[in-house]
This record gives sequence, C-alpha cells and structure tokens, in this order.
Amino acid sequence: MSEDQHLQENPPPEIGERLLLAERTDEEINQAVLQPMFRTGRGFWVIVTILGALVAWGLYAWGYLVYWGVGTTGKNRPVYWTLFITTFVFWVGISHAGTMISAVLRLLKADWRRPITRGAEAMTAFALMMAALYPLIHLGRVWKFYWMLPYPNNRFMWPNFQSPLMWDLVAIFTYLIGSLLYLYLALIPDMAMARDHTAGWRYRLYRLLGLGWRGTEGEWHKLHRALGIFSVAIIPIFLSVHSIVSWDFAVTIQPRWHSTIFAPYFVVGAIYSGLSALATILVIVRRGMRLQEFLRAEHFNALGKLVMVAGMVWTYFWFAGFLVEWYGNEPVTRELIREEISGNLAPLFYLQMSANLIPIGLLVFKKVRTTPALLLVATLLVNVGMYVERTLIVIGSLQRNDIPFNWGVYRPTWVEVSIVVMTFAGFALMYTLFSRVIPYVPVWEIKEGRLRYTLRRIGRLLVPTAAEID
Amino acid sequence: MSDTVSLISLFDESTETATAIDELHALGIPEDKITIMTGVPYPEHALGRQREWLTLPYIVLAGAIGGLLFGLFLAVITPHLYRLDVGGHPPASFPPAAIIIFVFTMMATIVSTFLGVLWEMNFPRFGTAPYHSLVTHGHLAVLVEFPAALEDKVRQVLEACHAHHIGEPERLAL
Repeated sequence: MSEDQHLQENPPPEIGERLLLAERTDEEINQAVLQPMFRTGRGFWVIVTILGALVAWGLYAWGYLVYWGVGTTGKNRPVYWTLFITTFVFWVGISHAGTMISAVLRLLKADWRRPITRGAEAMTAFALMMAALYPLIHLGRVWKFYWMLPYPNNRFMWPNFQSPLMWDLVAIFTYLIGSLLYLYLALIPDMAMARDHTAGWRYRLYRLLGLGWRGTEGEWHKLHRALGIFSVAIIPIFLSVHSIVSWDFAVTIQPRWHSTIFAPYFVVGAIYSGLSALATILVIVRRGMRLQEFLRAEHFNALGKLVMVAGMVWTYFWFAGFLVEWYGNEPVTRELIREEISGNLAPLFYLQMSANLIPIGLLVFKKVRTTPALLLVATLLVNVGMYVERTLIVIGSLQRNDIPFNWGVYRPTWVEVSIVVMTFAGFALMYTLFSRVIPYVPVWEIKEGRLRYTLRRIGRLLVPTAAEID
Repeated sequence: MSDTVSLISLFDESTETATAIDELHALGIPEDKITIMTGVPYPEHALGRQREWLTLPYIVLAGAIGGLLFGLFLAVITPHLYRLDVGGHPPASFPPAAIIIFVFTMMATIVSTFLGVLWEMNFPRFGTAPYHSLVTHGHLAVLVEFPAALEDKVRQVLEACHAHHIGEPERLAL
C-alpha cells in the first residue's frame, strides 16, 4: 500500500471526522441534524420538569416581591443595587459571544464558526431576554414600567434621555431586536429544509417560519447581502450595549465605579464570559444531542484559544484599572481595596482572581482545549469568576462610599436568590426547548462549507484547503 | 393549448447545471425565464448567471437616516418640550444625544435591513409555487419556461446534461 493510500484510508482523527462529514450526502446531513431534535427521552423530560419547577418557584418569588414590595429584598442604603443588577450585568455579558462568534467571524470568513453560529446566536437572544427581566424586577412596581416609554401623556412626564438608565433601555431593546432578527434571518433556509422533511405540527411551524423559501439564486443572493449588512451593523451595537451598561456605573461619583476604563473593561469581560458560556453550552449540547460529527475538536480548539486570548485581555484591563486606583490611594478606594485584599470581601476577591486566571493557564494546553470535559471545567470556572467579579463591582463597591456613617453591608434574601435561580433555569429551559424545535446546527452553512473545502496533500500531510469564494 | 411550457429538472452536479443553462440560453431562452433552486448557496457566477441588482442597500440607508432623525428628535427636541434640568447640564447636550442618536440609527438600520430583504424576496409567500422537495436533498433544480415549439430541444439539452426528474413542475404549498 502506498503512503498516499495509507493516509487516505487511515487519516488523523481530526481529518477523519471531517472526511466523514464530507462523505455524507446532503440528505444524510439533514437527517443527522433533524433526528436529534425528535429524540425526547425520559432524561429530556426530567430536565424540563426540574427547570420548569425552578422557573415556577422564581415566578412565585417575583409575585411575592410585587405583592409585599422591595422590602422583601436585601436592598438597603447604601447598597441599592444588589443581586438583580449583578445578574443583569452578567446576562448582558453572556449575550456578547453570540454576536462575536457569528458576526465577527462571518466577516473574517473564519470557517470554523459554521456549526456553532446558531447556538451562539440563540444564547445571545435568550441571555438578553433574561437580562431584560431584571430592570422590571428591580423596579418593584413593575406595572409602572410604561412610564419609561416616550409618549405624550397627561402626567406631563417624559423619559430623561440624559440618564444612562434610559440609554440602557433603548440599547438593550435594540440589541435584542437585532439578535432575534439576525438569528431568524439565517434560520429561514433551514426552516424550509425542515418543512420538506417533517409532518404535523412541526411542518406547520416550519412552513410558517420558512416564509415560502425555495432556495432560488435570487433568494440566496439577497440573504447573503442582508446577513453581510447585519454582521457589520450589529458589531457596533454589541460594543455599545455593554459600554452603556458600564456607564450606568461609571457616570456616578461612586468610588471604584467612576472610571474612564470601565466601558472597554466591561466589553472585554463580557466577551470573556460569553465565549466561556458558549463553550460550556456547546460541550453539553454536543453530548446531549450526539452532535459529535458537527462539533469537533477543531471547533473547541479554536473557541478555547479565543477564550484564552479574551482572558488575557481581561487581565490586562483589570490590572490597568486596579493599578491606577491603588496608586491614587483615595481614602474610600483604599478602604475598598483593603476589604478585597484582607477584609470581608477577600474570599470573593480571591475566588474571582483564581477562577478567572487559572483557566487562562489551563487553556494554554491543546489537550484542555480539545477535551470537552476539561474545556467544560475551565469555562465553567470562568463564569463563576465573572459572576463574582460583577458581584464585587456592584455590591462590593456600594458597601463603602464618601460618607463613612453611611457604610453598610448587604445580605441577599430568599426572594432575590429564587429570582436569580429562576433566570438561570429559564435560560436553560428555553435553550433546551429551542434545541428540540430548531435545527441546532445551521445545515445550509455546513453544506456551504463543504463546497469550499477539499483535502490537499502537502508532503506527508493531508491538509483541508478552503477555496477563496464569497 | 398554451403556447408556453414549463419544465423542471434536477441535476446532481453544478458544472452540468451551468452547461445546461448556457445551452438553454443558446436556444434563445432569456435569463428571466430560467429559475435555479438549490439547497446550498453557490458562489455568484458559478452557474453562469447575471448578478441581480438589489435595492436593499438603499432601503437600509433610508432606514438609517430615518432612525437618525427620530433619535435626533427624541434627544434634542423633546427635552425642550418636557424640560428637566439634571446635574447642571443643559437640557440637550452632545454626549447623551450622541448615544441616543446612535442607538436609534442602528435600530432602524437593522429593522430596515430585515424588512427590506423580506420585501426584496417578496416574503412571506405562503401560496403554492413550482418547487421540488429534493432541492434540500442536495439536487439543483432548474425551472425553465419556454415556447412550446422548443420543448423537444429543451428536453434534449437537459437529458444531454444528465438531468433527471424532468417534467412539468408541481406547485407545492410553501
């Protein structure tokens, strides 16, 4: 047997998985994506029931809060922003990776994005939905929400467009609309594919969402053009959203918040936590839906590298902010830093630093990036670290201010904890149901990728080679 | 009897599809009478077709300008109608106005992109249309409308290029 033949018949594992996909027919790929959607075994329903119960409990807690008022939370003076705002910032951060992966990598023509874009876009949409709940919950009197909408009224009230909270409202609403439309637009061809292969309620749903797609040249051309415009337009939106969230804090004169570096620091932190959350979700979905053929080691490797780089940049920004605050030695800031280094906040501070820094060291190793279980541990750790980081920024900083007799502490109540758990369960529930209703892997993008690729022999290697086509 | 005929045929391979389209053109069938349906986006010109001119960028531009003007109205005009002095700043000032105008411009841009592309594609279109469900199995479908006198020649071209499932198009509910 020649060496060439030997390589073709016994390719290295990462090439072997790619070859397997290359050898499948389009119909087999359709079925490989559709079949896992139809499998809803006992495990699936157990998960849905547990998540549903947690959401129901959280809704009860929210109802309790609405009925008895915000006094049922741990909010006090000076800690007026608590777990709700912390978790709000966390969810907005998580939402960033979807756009990062989908829009940025689409523009850069990074081919490894193909199987993960839909999962990333869905993560963005659901994370934003969870984030959008918190301003409502935080209001307490949620029925007064419409007062924030600009319409002429007999109260002579008008939203204050100079307020960062108003910027937040419009920016998050814009990002949510953009993310949902972006997710849906790229979904239309796959809805038509699913329409052609299903019956019953699924057929009716996919027919409705497919909008009459036939796959004519004109339709593809227009879809590509629209996705290109979306990719360009949504990048400044995603940068602006977390910048605006950071300005909620930075435009105040609260020590440790009043910082010019807050916007890029928040954006980088959002990308770090969002990419990590995406990696975590992909590992779980890959196993749960048996998508090993589509979500391969090469994708985790690339994603792991992105997480590592984002972690390094986050570390740089954190240090740049910390150094200036430490050097300035302002009394309240000094007290806050002392609290973090050796005071009541020390456990949280060291947890934040270790959970954010250890994964960077772990992800240096290819073995960690390409082994789903190890990647899961590393990326879960990042999100523990990032949640704690938000806790320290929001709650930790508010415990100290320029009026020492007004210093205080915060302890969460069962109402707050239940509501926070509700949004985590709600996110997981929506994502679980989504994965059984919508093709998780973008089938047309996978097939488009196959058009571009051939295996080329260079010396002793078989190398996947992409054609330069738009 | 109608003086035009429609045929749909399926191809397994893009090169043969492009050859068939060239030969259909050579028979005098114009571009707008040939429709190609695929389950995968082929690169422009891969199938030897003219590039379609789109109005989408102009729709997006119009939407963006509309969003900018609306943002300008909210951030600069309305604070004078409902005056609220905060933090020693004037009722309308550049930094907050820039944020509001930017966000509304981007919101209108993405919404107009979405609505614009639906309008360009004539979506939603839920009636029946000539289609073949094997398109999503990886086949390339060529739908061609031509004078009845050319039917034999068109069939010969399609068969010579290894087309299969040649026949009158079925109108499927989409």
